[in-house]
Amino acid sequence: MKTRILEKDSKTIKLLIEDTSLAFVNAIRRLAISDVPTLAIDEVAFLDNTSVLYDEIIAHRLGLIPLTTDLEHYKSSEECEGADPITNPECYVRLFLDVEAKEDGTVIYSGDLKSEDPAVKPVYDNIPIVVLAKGQKLTFEAYARLGRGKEHIKWSPVTVSAHKYVPVLKINFEKCDLCGKCVKACPKDVLEIKNDKLIIKNIFSCTLCRACEEVCEPQAIKVSWAEDSFILTIESTGALPPEKIVYEAAKILWKKADEMEKLIEELSEGE
Amino acid sequence: MLIPVRCFTCGAVIGDKWEEFKKRVEQGEDPEKVLDDLGIKRYCCRRMLLSHIDLLPQVIKFTRPL
Repeated sequence: MKTRILEKDSKTIKLLIEDTSLAFVNAIRRLAISDVPTLAIDEVAFLDNTSVLYDEIIAHRLGLIPLTTDLEHYKSSEECEGADPITNPECYVRLFLDVEAKEDGTVIYSGDLKSEDPAVKPVYDNIPIVVLAKGQKLTFEAYARLGRGKEHIKWSPVTVSAHKYVPVLKINFEKCDLCGKCVKACPKDVLEIKNDKLIIKNIFSCTLCRACEEVCEPQAIKVSWAEDSFILTIESTGALPPEKIVYEAAKILWKKADEMEKLIEELSEGE
Repeated sequence: MLIPVRCFTCGAVIGDKWEEFKKRVEQGEDPEKVLDDLGIKRYCCRRMLLSHIDLLPQVIKFTRPL
């Protein structure tokens, strides 16, 4: 199996994975959505809330704010089941807020949340949580813990996790009459005519729509895809860097495969 | 009411982009260009900002007596 990075920035990563199976790429995709843990606010204790929004709505908004996640220093959700948020700092991070609006229309942002762990803070500082009128108060303590996307989507580290086939365009140069119809028909601008020859500019942006195949009168173009290569796209919420999400997903798959192997061994020993 | 934190469909964070979007559109910029500048590519996320009506600043005055 060969892997190459096609595109990468702080939030997204696009990988070309060659010589592998669809099942493997799909396993990584699904694990990235539902099994890679992140931190998110899970319990909120309201001490005072005279704003127009109900406690539940504010708690829901707080839960959806992505937090920078430190996977090494917090226990997993399985180890923390039933733990009291106040007495278990290895399971829960405490974030708090205490404001009273001095004028109408004071906006409280995610950046106003104070965290007890400097490594854990909202990824974006300017998400509005609530708008207060003069004299309204909001005081709460929020507790964030590690969780997985399969429990609630707020713990999922990805917004997009998708794979697609690698397109293969076969051009029959003997039949091609350089009419240029396919160049115009392609919605993704994949084809180009250069020096009296039809060339493929960027094969990876092809969506397999077959518009070029349809408009080509001499039937010189054939669209197909590679059977053993895939493009995996991951877009992070910001809680974890995208490459870390792929790495963690692969680690979880490894662990699950080991468990499976052990189970099969135990079963075959029993016979 | 108040801009949702995330896109309803894909879950991308859009709440942080609302104030810049609102400011620039009020100054007369084309919403399409502002959305492109903010890096909002998918139409599910674009409709979150385009179709949002910010009512909360008007509602805050009608709260229970303090």
